[in-house]
Amino acid sequence: MFFRTKTVAEPDVLSALSQVRDPDLNKDIVSLGFVKNLRIDGGDVRFTVELTTPACPVKEELKAQCEARVSAIPGVKSVAVEMTANVRQSSAAPGNNRISLPAVKNVIAIASGKGGVGKSTVAVNLAVSLAQSGARVGLLDADIYGPSAPLMLGTRDARPGMGDGQRLIPVEKCGLKIMSMGYLVPEDKPVIWRGPMVHGALTQFLTQVDWGPLDYLVIDMPPGTGDAQLTISQSAPLSGAVIVTTPQEASLVDARRGLEMFKSVRVPVLGVVENMSGFLCGHCHEHTAIFGHGGGERMARDFDVPFLGQIPIEAGVVTASDAGTPVVEAMPASESAKAFARIAGVIAARLSVLHAGSAGSYQPLSLEWQ
Amino acid sequence: MANTGDSIGGVEPVAPHPVQLRQMGPGSLGIVWSDAHHSLLGVRRLRLECRCSLCVDEWTRERTLREEAVPQDVRPRKIEPVGKYAFRIDWSDGHTTGIYTFEALRRLCECPQCKKA
Repeated sequence: MFFRTKTVAEPDVLSALSQVRDPDLNKDIVSLGFVKNLRIDGGDVRFTVELTTPACPVKEELKAQCEARVSAIPGVKSVAVEMTANVRQSSAAPGNNRISLPAVKNVIAIASGKGGVGKSTVAVNLAVSLAQSGARVGLLDADIYGPSAPLMLGTRDARPGMGDGQRLIPVEKCGLKIMSMGYLVPEDKPVIWRGPMVHGALTQFLTQVDWGPLDYLVIDMPPGTGDAQLTISQSAPLSGAVIVTTPQEASLVDARRGLEMFKSVRVPVLGVVENMSGFLCGHCHEHTAIFGHGGGERMARDFDVPFLGQIPIEAGVVTASDAGTPVVEAMPASESAKAFARIAGVIAARLSVLHAGSAGSYQPLSLEWQ
Repeated sequence: MANTGDSIGGVEPVAPHPVQLRQMGPGSLGIVWSDAHHSLLGVRRLRLECRCSLCVDEWTRERTLREEAVPQDVRPRKIEPVGKYAFRIDWSDGHTTGIYTFEALRRLCECPQCKKA
């Protein structure tokens, strides 16, 4: 007659959850402060787990572990876990007093030493993958002379709007905010500019575009190591760079130059992506290494940077891209789409790791002389 | 961040970076580095060491800046960050194009310890 339901105690829940570790940050989720809004109502337990990126590669696994650990506590009848994310501000921002993107948490440069390695395809698909995970993502096509974002995202006829204070409003597609030179000049008119004009245009893209709050701004860098690359490295608060290469040695030599450039401007290289990594036959599903193999992995090892993964050539990818729909949206079940999603998750995780240790990293300094 | 090795492997540059900029006197700049080193730099020497294309020939790397052209009392007006690797100095003689990388500043350190080495 004096029967009472045993109420589950908060410390029991927290100590159960402290058994769950984030494999990237290498700490338990309670010490990391990920557990929020813990509510205990008799035997019903509900809480939120706030990760550092919605693109977390192990999100489902962490959720399952939380449920299992809490369910095992005596007296618990039900467990409701909500997974959310709050992307951390890049340690690099603001990199420069004049050009900073205060509402952009991470700026990721996608680069390659030379053209023709499919860098823009990689940039577009990684950006869309991040957006599909629930993050707010922008894509800046910084290839002034050969913009490709309008074609790849089926927005050739779109034009940016004009907002308050003469700021350009980016084009929106596939959940991305996009800006490209291709929206500003007619397709049949080449951009014939010297360095200072390129510098001016890129500076405008960084300062005069109303990007709004973003978790990730992906910059599709032009190939090479010239004016445009320098402008962006000096002006944008780059959180990290991803180098795209192909398995061929010729492409690797150029990619190395790109790697060295980021090293000299102290932008952390998040890793190497190997594109055109063999041909995946649409009929027999056999994988043929038409450009050789292992090049990207070798380079990553030589330079002591992480190898992020390989993207195979699939017939559908090229057609989808040319028709204006990135493969991650058009064919999400394809091998390449799965590879892009995986790599996007790894990049997001690496950025979270960098921020977790940001106490010792460089904060921009300035000084007024008296 | 100290390189934790396992999961991030070498992506963070290990070279020291400035953690504090200070004016140490009318003509001396102090830099505290992430490895706890304290640098002291005479600002006129810093102006003379400018490596920009107006002060150094871009092809031969020979200095074209004449020492007598730089006022004895030249001072920085403002020091601003450039990306994550350098500073740009706005000088009292009107020169503004010089970019000083962290490596260059470290090399120019005039503290007794660095001068001996």
